[in-house]
Amino acid sequence: MNGEQNWKCAKCGAALEMKKVVFSYMGRSFGHEVPTCPECGRVLITKELALGRMAEVEILMEDK
Amino acid sequence: MKPHTESVCPVCLKRIPAQRTERDGNIYLEKTCPEHGFFQTLIWEGKPDYQSWGKAPRATRVLSDERVQRGCPYDCGLCSQHRQRSCCVLLEVTQRCNLGCPVCFAEAGGETADPDLHSIEAWFDRLRELAPKANIQLSGGEPTVRDDLPEIIRLGREKGFSFFQLNTNGLRLAREPDYAAKLKAAGLSCVFLQFDGVDDAPYIALRGKPLFEEKCRAVQNCAAAQLGVVLTPTLAMGVNLDQVGEIIRFAMERLPAVRGVHFQPMSYFGRYPGAPEKRVTLPRLCREIEAQTRGAFSAEDFLGGTAEHPLCSFSCNYLLRPDGTVENVSPRSSCCCCGEDREEDGSEALNPRTAVEKARDTVSRRWGGAVPEAEAPPADLDGLDGMLYLLKHRRFSLSAMAFQDAWNLDLERLQNCYVHVLSPDGRLIPFCAYNLTSAEGKALHRR
Repeated sequence: MNGEQNWKCAKCGAALEMKKVVFSYMGRSFGHEVPTCPECGRVLITKELALGRMAEVEILMEDK
Repeated sequence: MKPHTESVCPVCLKRIPAQRTERDGNIYLEKTCPEHGFFQTLIWEGKPDYQSWGKAPRATRVLSDERVQRGCPYDCGLCSQHRQRSCCVLLEVTQRCNLGCPVCFAEAGGETADPDLHSIEAWFDRLRELAPKANIQLSGGEPTVRDDLPEIIRLGREKGFSFFQLNTNGLRLAREPDYAAKLKAAGLSCVFLQFDGVDDAPYIALRGKPLFEEKCRAVQNCAAAQLGVVLTPTLAMGVNLDQVGEIIRFAMERLPAVRGVHFQPMSYFGRYPGAPEKRVTLPRLCREIEAQTRGAFSAEDFLGGTAEHPLCSFSCNYLLRPDGTVENVSPRSSCCCCGEDREEDGSEALNPRTAVEKARDTVSRRWGGAVPEAEAPPADLDGLDGMLYLLKHRRFSLSAMAFQDAWNLDLERLQNCYVHVLSPDGRLIPFCAYNLTSAEGKALHRR
């Protein structure tokens, strides 16, 4: 099963849908599609994304 | 910055009081030797502003309990007056050279026998005690004249060191197409390539030979081996200061194999042609970069180093977008977790361990990571994947380091130095102290 599929919002119970969300870090913004609750707008950041590409971008951006 | 500091007499190398004096927007280091008279040297020239630049955070803690006998710069090893640990350590693996330039900090080309592998192993063992996490710079002389250079790198890796930089004129890399791959397989992290300009004129002036074509071939061979290259121009007034823009363009056309440009204004130790007249200062270089790139890079982009003394260096990271525009991606303020207290002049005091570890990791990541395989950019460069692509494939750095010599030596700067040489007798000596020579060529530490 894909880590970003078949999740439901703990608060609303709605099935999450892939939606483009804008992330901001160190004064820079970039969009990425993540599972989002259509009711309350909460998003799911999977462990794979947080420890993978997001962490990679974070380390590269933090270099002095 | 406080006006008072200490320096040495360029004639007898005795420690003497010195003063940073402002005149017409320029800063001069002035000093008087009771025996040899008055000396003044230009150390800062115009904007960016010296006072605000000098307020960058710096390390101020005492690190060593080694007893001070004669004091700085005579007790190096390091003594209790030193304020910074080693970020990188130079190992001079040979004094031989295949160039014999008129300009050379290392006075290379002598008849001294190369240290054998057993001695170099002892150096690595000594470094494991003194600076176990240091980045290693293989230097000389010209290190590539040693056929066992790959073995030296392998040996260092076995001893636990993880970053190896080769300081080279690139001749062997140019002439032996598979040499870069051999060094990379041995564990070399990156090549610091002496690269003085984009035509033959600066090479003839500084190195005595036309070398531009060979430099291009060296870069090409490193790129083919996916070995990263940092272009390292020695800048001299009237020789190649007018080429900084073209050098930057040359680098940008060769990303990601070329990681950046590290400018080094010429310093006057070792072999040099006569007494210094007009120096290339860091602020002048910042402005030249801005002017020669028609504002694509701004003088205001550059910030003084934090792990070393701010007057010694600057750097900035950029992304080159496919449309040719450049974007400054360096954080604009110092690390929020490093600052601890303030100096009398308002500058921030850093924990030296935190600062130097950060600098070490940054150098290692910025210059040492594997050159990535070519891949097509994602359609959306403003997304997370686009940002990751740009950071991996289209990022580069511009930086500079102003070394000090007997004329402009400022002991406050020297005591913050994090570029050290391991002397043959196993002492860590700040680079500028190790290479310090008097006007008559007498060395303070180098034997």
